[in-house]
Order: sequence, then C-alpha cells, then structure tokens
Amino acid sequence: MSVKYTPVQWNRNKWLYDGVMLIGVVLFLYVFLFVSPEILSHEFPINPQVHNARAFGAAAFVMLTVILCIGPLARIDRRFLPLLYNRRHFGVMTTFVAITHAGFIIDWYFAFSSSNKFEALLFANTSYTQLAGFPFEVFGVFSLLTLLLLAVTSHDFWMKFLTPPVWKRLHSFIYLAYISLVAHVSFGILQDQQNHTVTVIFIGGALCVAGLHAYAAWLDLRKGDKPGTEKDGWIEVCKTSDIENGFAKIRVLPGGDRVAVFNQDGKLSAISNACAHQNGPLGEGKIIDCLVTCPWHGFQYNVTNGRSPAPFTEMVPTYNLRLSGDSIEVQTQANPPGTYVEPVPLPDAKPQEVMA
Amino acid sequence: MSQNDKPFFVGYFPIPGQLKGFLALISVGVVLLFLLAGLVIGSTQDDPGQSGFRFDYGRQTVTGVVELTPYPILRVTEGNDLIKPGKTLMLAAAGKSGVDARAAPHEGGLVQVSGIVLQRGTIDMLQLAGGQRGLSAAEGDTPEFDTEPLGRWKLAGEICDGKCLNGAMRPGRGLAHKACAALCLINEVPPVFVSSQPVEGSDFMLITGLDGGRLPDMAYDFIGQFITLEGELERRGDILVLRMDPETLEVIDG
Amino acid sequence: MNEAEAIFLFAKIWGAIGACVALIFLTIGIERIDEDADGAYVFRPLLIPGILLIWPLVLWRWYILADGKDEWSSRYKPRRTAHHWIAFAMPVAIILVLVLGLSQRQIWPADFVPQQIAPAAQVSQ
Repeated sequence: MSVKYTPVQWNRNKWLYDGVMLIGVVLFLYVFLFVSPEILSHEFPINPQVHNARAFGAAAFVMLTVILCIGPLARIDRRFLPLLYNRRHFGVMTTFVAITHAGFIIDWYFAFSSSNKFEALLFANTSYTQLAGFPFEVFGVFSLLTLLLLAVTSHDFWMKFLTPPVWKRLHSFIYLAYISLVAHVSFGILQDQQNHTVTVIFIGGALCVAGLHAYAAWLDLRKGDKPGTEKDGWIEVCKTSDIENGFAKIRVLPGGDRVAVFNQDGKLSAISNACAHQNGPLGEGKIIDCLVTCPWHGFQYNVTNGRSPAPFTEMVPTYNLRLSGDSIEVQTQANPPGTYVEPVPLPDAKPQEVMA
Repeated sequence: MSQNDKPFFVGYFPIPGQLKGFLALISVGVVLLFLLAGLVIGSTQDDPGQSGFRFDYGRQTVTGVVELTPYPILRVTEGNDLIKPGKTLMLAAAGKSGVDARAAPHEGGLVQVSGIVLQRGTIDMLQLAGGQRGLSAAEGDTPEFDTEPLGRWKLAGEICDGKCLNGAMRPGRGLAHKACAALCLINEVPPVFVSSQPVEGSDFMLITGLDGGRLPDMAYDFIGQFITLEGELERRGDILVLRMDPETLEVIDG
Repeated sequence: MNEAEAIFLFAKIWGAIGACVALIFLTIGIERIDEDADGAYVFRPLLIPGILLIWPLVLWRWYILADGKDEWSSRYKPRRTAHHWIAFAMPVAIILVLVLGLSQRQIWPADFVPQQIAPAAQVSQ
C-alpha cells in the first residue's frame, strides 16, 4: 500500500494466519524430531543429522504442497480466499525450513572431505546421463534457489518495482520448483524407501496439487470470464439487469485484458479487472464503503476514477461505457489509470437507489 | 442467493461471522494435517541397519601386516581382547578419506595401528587416528600371508563405500546416499560390494578393478544401484576381495 | 579448475556485482523511483538478498523508471491469461516425473544366489 514501506506488514488476521501455520510446522517438526525416534526404536538409530534433514525436508514438502493447493482451492470455493491473503508469509517460512534441510544434508553427506562441501554437492555424483542414480540433489538445489528467489522478492516493494505482471511471472516459477521438488524426492529417497507409507503420502500430496490445478483450470475454462464481441471499438458486456448492486460483471477484451463493470447504487462504472497490487481480480470483489475492494488483499479503489483513497496512491485504468438499448457496452481502449469517467445511470434504477 | 449474502473476507477487517466456523475448521485441519504427517512420515522410516562406530569400545590398538589390494588392509598378527590375531581389517581415516598415502610405504611391512572400530555384524574396519598415533612401523617378525583364490563368480548386489556401509553413516547405502558414497570413494575410502546372499560366509567384500587396481571409474555411475557383475574372488584372511570385471556389470531390471 | 569451481566462481562474481548494485540502489536510487521508499529505511536491508540475486533485472527496471519509460498499460496485464497453460502442463509434468521415478525403483535381489562360474586357477601365489 502506498504509505511508507515497512519490513513486514502484520495485522490481526495475519498474526492469526502466521500463528496457525507456525503451530502446524512446529508440531510437525516436534513429533518428527522427538517422538518418532521413540516409536522407531532402532537398535542403531538413524544419524541425527539425517533424521533432522529428513524432518525439515519432509516439512518443506508438505508446506509447499499446502501452499500450492491454496490457489486452486480459492478459485474453486471462494471461502478459501482468506488462506490466499497471507500466503507469502507461509512461503517465506517454507524457504527457511528448506534451507535448514539443505544445511543438514550439505553438512553431513558433503562435508568431512578435503573438498569444499558446496562444490562436492555438484561433483560427487556426476551420473547426469542416466535416470536411476541421477544426481537428484540438483533438483533440490533448483527448488531451493527458486524458493529463495521468491522469498527475497516477496516484499511489496518488488511488486511495484518490477510491475505486478513481471512479479507474478517470476513467482510462477514456484510451479517449476514444485515439479523439481517432486523429481528431487522421486529420484532420491523414494528409490530407497522400503516402507511405502511415505511413498503414498508423497504421491498423494503431489497428485492433490496436480489434480486441483487441473480441475480449477477446467472450471475456469467452462465458467470463467467470457470474451465480448467487438464492434467499432466497443463490446457488449451484459444486460442492464445483470449486475447486482455493489458487484461487477467481467468481460475479456479483444486484447486479452479484462474489464470489470460495477453497479454502484444504480450507476455503472468500468475499471480494469487487474488490481494495481498483484493484479487480483477486482471484478470478483465488491463495493465496500463506496470503494471497490479486491478479493485478494483488500486494496480499494474509487470506481469512478480508479484511484485508491488517500493516503494510498494506487490507480487502475478506467473504461468509457454506454448503454445501447438494454445492453451495457464498454469501449475497448482503456483510459490512463486514475481517469475520471462519469458514471452511467441504469435506466430502471429506482430513484432512491440513485439518491443513495 | 444474492452475492451480497455471501461472506466477503477483507484481510484488515474482522473475519465475517459466516466464515469464522469454516476458517476455524480449516485451521484445526491444517494443524492436524501437519501433526499427523510429521508423526507418520517420521515413524515409518526404514531401519538403517545394525552398524555403527563403536566409540563405546574405546580406542583399539593392534599390530599387523599392511597389504594393498590396492586399498590398504591389515592382517592382524598381534591383537587384543576385541580384535584377535588372524583378523583382517579395512582401514580408513577420519572423515571421508582413506589412508592410502600413509599405508603405501608400509606395504608388506609390520605396523601398529590405532583407532575406532566400525562394526556391522563383525568388526571389519578401523578408523585410524591421525599421524603416527594412528599408523606407525612396528618391530618384529613379518609373517607371510596367503591369498586364496576362489574362482570367478557372478554376484548380485550393490556397490557402496566401506566406511558408510560399516556404520559411519546410517543409512549408509542406497541411491539417496550415492553422492556421499562417491565422495568417500573419490577420497580413497575402500569400496565394498554388498551381495544379495553370503558368499563363502560373507555378505560383503572389498571390490577392486579386474587388474587389482582401484575401482574402475565406470563403476561410480552404478553406486547404490542393484546390479549383477562377475569377477575374480579371493580370500585374504577373513575378508573377501572381488576383482570386478567391468564388462559384465549389468543393472537389474525392476 | 573443474566445473564445480567455475560455477562457484561465477556465483561469487555475480553476488559481488549484486552487492555493488545494492549499495548504490539502496542509498541513492530507490527514493528517486519510488516515493513510498522516501524516508523509509528500515525495510531497505530486506531488499539486499533480492538485489544480489536479480541485479540485472533491478538495473533494467531502475533505468526504465528513472527514464520515465514505464508504460502504465504493462502493469495491468495479469499473468492469468497464460495460467491455463501452466495449470494443465504442471499436472502432466508431475505425473510424468512420478511415473519415471517409480519406474526406476529396484527391488533388492534377495533371491539371487551367488554363482561360481569358474573354479580357482590352480596356480596360487
């Protein structure tokens, strides 16, 4: 938000969110590290370093799996949107857990030799041309570097600096990182594990991520925003009776951009569907206190000029619109962000609504 | 249902009443998921096997004759309560390193060695202390030892490094451990072959090149994989040495 | 120098250049291109790791913003237009990797009986 940057933004809900996730992760690590050795009771126990590495590695996998399920879940059922709200904090937490895993591995499997342990990580196993026995560590290195890249660019400054589309593209590397993580586990511990409980949990988690993404994308293809047909630089959005007061209809413009047409107390205004913060879908938000509120992180805009209320300075483009019979039409060319556009009254709007 | 009746979450506002129950449920669910996952994944790890450093035995000092296979082994001539004369020990140094350079000058000669035992069933390796303390020439008669050829064998199993297999690391074999094993072998820790079933009473043996040289480079790509191979087997005291034929190495299907 | 050493040398040089960029950008650059950073200092060290990693991108964006070449319309082109591609490609990749991984799994040849192919040569040493 456009007040002075602070290192980390917290509010009550974020504290709650971070608290729940932290409790989950701490419990995971606690039972793995301190309860499971009792249950295993091997005569010669697994080396503590390996046990620790596995605890943090498994935690990072479960955390990343949960993180990647949040996105599609929120698209399938909007009640999951609160989980999206503070996902970045959980991502940073995952990065720390993953670094700890890598630390234990490097200080154990790659230490104690005359070579630099980080170099050893790259040259100890060089079977790059075969599948079995492939140096699966490099998959982990890739995932870890990606997580690091995302964590260190997670501050809102980066979003504004790089622009939301570039930032989002950078952060969509998380999908590659997850595939790489699946490979890291598949060609690593999965090759050796004799007890298949872990195999089942691991494959189940990976398939959850895969299935949810495919299902959410399929839903979006079926029920998602529809393109409008262009005629002389204008497209039809919907009928005048289609938009509920306080909400919007979204149309995909010929160039691929989306426009959100809002009904605020019987008057229509059109703004870009992409929030200035993370390009969240403004048209899926609602008007609260006369301000369009983004469903992702609650950024707000005046619907007539696309400007955030002071002291914030975010702006989104606006669109000209007109009525043609009972159809609402929008000009496909956007106005520069913050341009005021006179709202168009709905013909059948009750006078008191307009007054309100 | 009007869209207005659906709960709308805004991060910096209090949570809408309709969402509170759902979010509480999700929170409990997430915490339980983590708890259960940690417990189940943690407590279903495989047993790493019966092997390890025996620091509890204390430092062992014995005397014997150094043989190079080319990896140095010690044919014990003068033992102690734990390590009897006639025993054969593989030798390694602390960390991921062998003792080739220290042992080579003493080939065929009598030495006193001192270090920590690594035990996997029987005691088969000694991790030598540093410098003279760990390995030094000894005075006395130097007996001749036999090497008994056992013919050409076809075996199935896995190539590992002798130190981790003997318990320096638990688990100390398999593909997840491959890079560590390779690093050990690069640094001259004796390589071993774990056989599917015991051969001549032993389920693992030192493995070398066919000409009695070091483990061939090509074998490094197969560390930790289940393979079959042929080679000349020989007995040196109570350990076996397999001189592998690289031409015959095959990965086992499935 | 082997490949591993070369990679680490490259990483060190990359990081060193990044450190220089971070120093200049965080002291004199940032407040000229982002008014929200004007007077905000505590958060700046938090940006250092990011600059170390992606300093070429930082230099590029710095140049674009300082030169007034930033085009506003580029800020409102959500990635979601291309998301379908990822949303279907990722599941395929995950399943492919899982199948490949499982197909490589081996079973310990516990039933294999060691075979003596030829007896020991008569000549012993």
